[in-house]
Formats: sequence, C-alpha cells, structure tokens
Amino acid sequence: MAKPRIVAIDDEPEFIDMIEGYFGLRGYEINVAVRGAKGIEVIKEKSPDVVLIDLKMPGIDGDEVLKLIKSMNPSPKVIFITAYDDGGKTRARLLKMGSYACLDKPIPSLRDLEATVNKAVSK
Amino acid sequence: MLDFYGLSNLFATVTNLGIAFLVYTKGHNSKLARIWTLFTLCVAIYGFGGFMASGAKDYDSAFFWWRLSYVGVILLPAIFASFVYTFLETKRTFFLNTIYLVTAIVWLANIFSKTLFIGHVTLIFTDSKWFAPAWFVYPPGPLHIFHTVFLYFILLTYLFLRLVLAYKNADPLKRTQIKYFTIAMVLGFYGGGSSYLPCFGINIYPIANITVPLYTFLIAYAIIRHQLMNIEVIIKKTLVFAGLLASVFAILILPTLLIQEYILRGADTGSRMAGLAISGIIIIMSVRRIENFLINITDKYLFQKKYDYKELLKTFTAEVLTVLELDKLVNLTVNKLTDIIKLGSAAVLLFNEEKQHFNVVAAQNIKDSSVTLIRPDGIVTFMDETHGYVLMSELREKNISIPDSIQEIIDKLNAEIVIPMVLHEEVIGVLSLGKKKSDENYTQDDLDILLPLAKTLAIAISNAELFVKLGKTQAEAAQREKMAVIGTLSAGINHEICNPLGIARGQCEAFLLNLKDGLYKNKTSEELIEKAKSIMVKVIKETDRATAITKKLSGFAKPSKGEAEIIRIDKELDEVFGLVGYELRLEKIEFLKNIQKDISDLFVDKKQFQEILFNLIRNAGQAIGEKGRITITAREEGRKVYIDVQDTGSGIPEDKVKQLFNPFFTTKDPGKGTGLGLFIVRQVVEKNGGRIHLKDTKVGEGTTFRLEFPVPAREGLKVN
Repeated sequence: MAKPRIVAIDDEPEFIDMIEGYFGLRGYEINVAVRGAKGIEVIKEKSPDVVLIDLKMPGIDGDEVLKLIKSMNPSPKVIFITAYDDGGKTRARLLKMGSYACLDKPIPSLRDLEATVNKAVSK
Repeated sequence: MLDFYGLSNLFATVTNLGIAFLVYTKGHNSKLARIWTLFTLCVAIYGFGGFMASGAKDYDSAFFWWRLSYVGVILLPAIFASFVYTFLETKRTFFLNTIYLVTAIVWLANIFSKTLFIGHVTLIFTDSKWFAPAWFVYPPGPLHIFHTVFLYFILLTYLFLRLVLAYKNADPLKRTQIKYFTIAMVLGFYGGGSSYLPCFGINIYPIANITVPLYTFLIAYAIIRHQLMNIEVIIKKTLVFAGLLASVFAILILPTLLIQEYILRGADTGSRMAGLAISGIIIIMSVRRIENFLINITDKYLFQKKYDYKELLKTFTAEVLTVLELDKLVNLTVNKLTDIIKLGSAAVLLFNEEKQHFNVVAAQNIKDSSVTLIRPDGIVTFMDETHGYVLMSELREKNISIPDSIQEIIDKLNAEIVIPMVLHEEVIGVLSLGKKKSDENYTQDDLDILLPLAKTLAIAISNAELFVKLGKTQAEAAQREKMAVIGTLSAGINHEICNPLGIARGQCEAFLLNLKDGLYKNKTSEELIEKAKSIMVKVIKETDRATAITKKLSGFAKPSKGEAEIIRIDKELDEVFGLVGYELRLEKIEFLKNIQKDISDLFVDKKQFQEILFNLIRNAGQAIGEKGRITITAREEGRKVYIDVQDTGSGIPEDKVKQLFNPFFTTKDPGKGTGLGLFIVRQVVEKNGGRIHLKDTKVGEGTTFRLEFPVPAREGLKVN
C-alpha cells in the first residue's frame, strides 16, 4: 500500500520544517504551509490523505481549516498537533467536529505520530 | 564708712521691682500673683524711701523720704494678710476688712499728718566705726507705735501661725510652697523689722535689713520649683534675672558711691543726688544696650513660653493620631512631644508580642535605646496594677526610695515621667518623657493633658498595628488573586512554552530516528555534523524562548516590595503585554496602545502598577472572549494622568455595575476568577494614590475602565 500523502500546516516554521524532514525522508509525499489560507490552497491542490494542523494560528486557524476539510469530498483525515491546552475542552470539541486525533505538543514521539498517520488511512 | 543700710534698701528696691515685674507679666490672671505684685511694689517703695532717707543731707529731706517709705511699709501687713488668706483659700471677710480699714486710717494719717505717724527723725550711728550715720524715725508718732505693735508684730505673728497650722494638713506640693513662703516672709519681715529698732531707742545697726532683698530670691525659687502663686507660665531662672538686674544696678550705683565718698566727700543728700545724677546719665546713655541685653536674656531664658496645651492637642489630633503607619506615628509622637513641651528627651516603648517585652520603637536623646522592660520589672508591674504613671520629682518629694533596678531603667531612658499607654485594661506601651529643657517640674496641668494623651495614643497605636495587619492580609489576598489569575493564563503560557519544546524535541528525535533508521547512510560525517549543528542552534533558540516566558512569569508572580518608584507608563504596559499578549494573540484579540507623547512618569509601586494593568487587560480579554480589540489610552491633564482600558467585549449589565467593586463579585465562570479582582485592584490603585472607576459600559459593545493617578512633583525625580 502506498504511503499516505500528507499536508502539514503550522505557524511555527521550525516545527513544520522538522515534520517535513521526518516524513519526507521516509518516502511520504508531504507538502507544508505556515498559514491557514495557504494551507487550504495546498490541500485543494494536492488532495492529501491526511492533514496535520496546528490549532492556534494567526489568520485562519485550525478550527476553520477543519470545517472546510469536512465540507470536502473525499475529505482527508485531520490530525491536530497543538500546544493549546484548556483542560481537554477544545480537544473534545475538535473530535466531535470530526477530527481523527488530537496530539499535544511536544509530541511524545515522532514514531507515534507516524503510526497515527498510517492508522488514519488504513481504515 | 559704708552706708550698708542704704545699700541694702537699694538692693531691696531693685530685686522687688524685678520680681513685681515678672510676677505681674506672667501671672496677672491669678489673684495671688496680683496681690503679690502689690506687695513687692510696696517693699520696693519702702526700700527706695529708706535708701534715700538714711543718707539724707538734712532733717527735712530725711523726714520726707521716711514718710514716702512708709507709704509702702504701712500697707505690707494688710496685703500680706490678704495674700495668706487667698493662698490658704480661707474666707475671713470681716477680719480682713477690719485690717484694711485700720491700715487705711494709718496710711492716710501718714500722708496728711506730720505728727501722728512719723513724729520725728534723728541722725544715728554718728560715732560708728564701720557704718555711715543714717537718719531713722525717732521718736515715733503714736500711730507708728500702734502700727508696729498691732499690725506688724501681732498680725504678722498670727498670720505666720496660720501658715504653720495649714502646713500640717496640706498636700505635699502645697506643703513645700508653704515652707518656702513662710521662711522667706519671716526672713523678710523680721529682718526688715530691724529698721524699727532705732525707732524705739534701741540703737543696733539694722544689718538684718539685708534680708529684705534676699527673701525675694527664696520666693522666686518657690515660684519656679514649686508653682507658688499659680503662675501658669513658670519663670525660668527668675533668680538669674533678678540677680542680673540687681548687679547691673549695683554696678551703676558704684559711681554714685565713689563720687560721693571721694570726689564730693560728703554723705549728705546733695552729694548723693549728684552721684546719682552722674550714674543716671550713665544709665540713660547705656539704657538701650542694657535693655536689649535684658530682653535677649529674658527672651532666651525667662520668657520661653510655656508650651501651649492647645497647640499640643491640636497637633496631636490633626497631625499625629491620624497617622496609620506605626513607625511614623511613634516617631511623630516623640518628635512633637519633645518639640512642643520642649523636652530634653522622650521615648515610646511598645510591647513586643514575640519577645514578650517592651522595647524602644522611637526615641530622642535617650542614653540607651536597647533598654527593654519585662514584666518582672517593678516599673511594669506597677503600671500593670495601677495603670498609673511614675513621676520622679514626685517620688523625690515624697522621699520614696527607688530600687536600683528601676533607677537603672529610668537612667537609660533619661526619664522624668513614665506613663503607661493603656488599652482595654492592658498596658500596650510606655511613654517615657525626660526633663523639660527649662528644668521645671511637671505640673498637674501637664499630667492632666499627658495622661489622656497617652490613652489616646494607645488607641492610635493599636489602630496602626491593626492597619499593618490588615495591610498584610490585603497583600496576601492580592498575591493569592494574582496567582489565581496566572493560573487562568495557563492556556496562553502553555502554548508559548510547549511550542518551543515541541520543536526542540522534534528536531532532536527526528535526527536520532533518521540515524537509527539508516536514512543518513549516504551522508558524510561532515554533513552529519553540519546537520547536528543546525539542530543544536535551533534547540538553543527554542529553549531560550521557553525560558523567557517563565522568567516573565516568575518575575510577575513575585510579591511587590511595597515601595514607590518612578515608572514609565509605556514601558510597564509593554511588560504586562509581554505576559498577557500570548493569550490575547491566541484569542485573536487586537491590542492597541495610544499613549500621549511626553506623558509624565508616575510615582507608584512598579509591581502593583503592573498588577493593576494586568488585571484590567486580562478582564478586558475575558470580556471579549475571542476576536476583539483592547485599547489602552493614556493622557495627561491638569497634573493628572488618565489611563483608559477599553474593550470591545460583552459589557456589564446595568444591575451588576453597582456590585462591580464588591469582594467576591464575579460574572466569570467558576475557575476563571475568584471575584477578588476588581475589589483588590481598587485597593491597590488607592494605595498608590490613584483612583479607578467604570467610565463607560454598554452590553454587547464593550467597557471602559478609567485609572487616575496624580503626576508627581517633578523636582528631583528621574527614571533610572
């Protein structure tokens, strides 16, 4: 099975750079963006299997990107990676809105993230 | 040959005029003082008449001067009687009136008849080896004999007897007064009475007449030390003054004698008058200088006004007792007391709960400020049990011996009076006052004001202590509130810390996993080192980023030092924004600063000022929730700085506006605020000399809070 195609959006360039390096080296097709608006363009263009998004971003943030993705067909799986923690309230809301997973920064392990990405598309 | 009698009379004139002047100017409100003034004036007339008569040139002038002398002498017993009765507070109107009547008859007889009173004068002691001859009344007229026997010896002896009887039943102070007064008067009257001896053919030279000026000194002493004559303004060093006046006169009279003896060579009235005339010219020429000198001396030493009780009360009620800072209160107490009562030293001791003793908290001029009083000290026990004061002069007067241990404490405190400060039956402190600079004793009047003052001070001190405790409680509450608020900031702060950590961790882990998975196999070791280097630079950068916010946070969380300093509004605002900014950015809240150029700096507690802004900005943020704008406007107008914190939030419903500053009032969700926010903000604002109020609010549109701070005086203030 081909490796899932990924789009990652995060306003932290160093973070997105690291993600891109990790998945790229392992043969994933990955595209990145540091702004929500640009991210949406990339998603529309590449129709990825999985989207990794940061929640809190200047301009269009993760929430809005999720809504947009949910309106797409077929819609890619959405995995949030965020440092925002308000005691689980937002996480619950995002899951309810249809996101596949919510991971906290710092991510416990990149291997876990990779596993989550693969698991998301295997279903 | 020496005209001793004449000189003693001249001396008596001077000293009596002196004391008449002092007693009258300082005590004319007191009946005793008025009577006494009259008495001393009469003695002065007697002295002057006697001085002029004794060395008169001829019979006629001697006769004239003696008659004049008796204008004063005749009145003395009656005035003395009046004084004694007033002094002993006895009412004997009929007795006194009879004396007055008889005296009046004798006095008029002396004025209008040459024979009834004086009779004749004779020059006696013409063959004395030592003394110059002098004119005396001899043989006397019938009324003179009557006056001498009845008004002088019998009446005076009766009056002295009354004084002695009164002495036995009097209180200690009055006793001392009577003692000195009686001794002085016996000396004066019976010494002066020796002038009567020649009138009855007993030709003993009246050397004893010298007591007439001397008794004045005793009376003056009694006035100063023992408050004789109810003279409210106690005359300091009256003795010095009278002595000074007398010596100035004595020096000036010397030319008279020299001229009389050696130039004009005659003991008659003519040469005496010539001598006096020359002295007179000297006096007239130098009178200005002497007057100025005396004014200076008297201003400096004598008429140093007794402190004004009203001023003391006014100062304490207006300036001291209202002070709520304990330290300032006790120091003001010591300073104002020393200043107004003119004390040599003073101290306030307060009970130290921790150490269980009284220690000095404010003092001036005491010998050992490390002195402590503990319960077993006799002085504390005494005050505990009696709530009474310890007055050293009173103890000395009553011959009460003071134990060495207490004496030691008294010495260390330099104390003359020790007054307990009692609150609710408990001695909370001790007021220790030293001797007055004037060396005068504490009077009943002093005690009447000092004792209630000590009580009031006890209340003021206890208030100040409570205020300190309250301040601590408030500071603690403010600190707790601050911590709670920081807790609610955690989302923003967590975001700001976890992002760099996520990057650092991810970069490192990716490198390690790539190595492990053999993904770097085709890379040279140089390339790998380059890669590792770039990762490490990133990690360091991100670690610094995370550290910065924790520093900001811990700096803000520290309690304030409670000291005002000069702060720049713009700079403080930036610091606060550095902390709340993350949260605001997360919620897409815009932050606008609109600060007037060249706005004055404020003189406030830096941390507290930050707390105020922090609370208001955060409240504004919470009112907005998500997406909105907070605008801070600061401008200066009329020595005041106005800072408006405006938000585009939900606004405050009208029914909630009134409760806004109440403690525990909150509209926030549980967990988002303790409700102490605005209540404490207001306290902190006011503590820093400012005011806060709700300027404007409209539901659905937003709220504006306004801060108002005074512009500090520019002199000497600079931002560091």
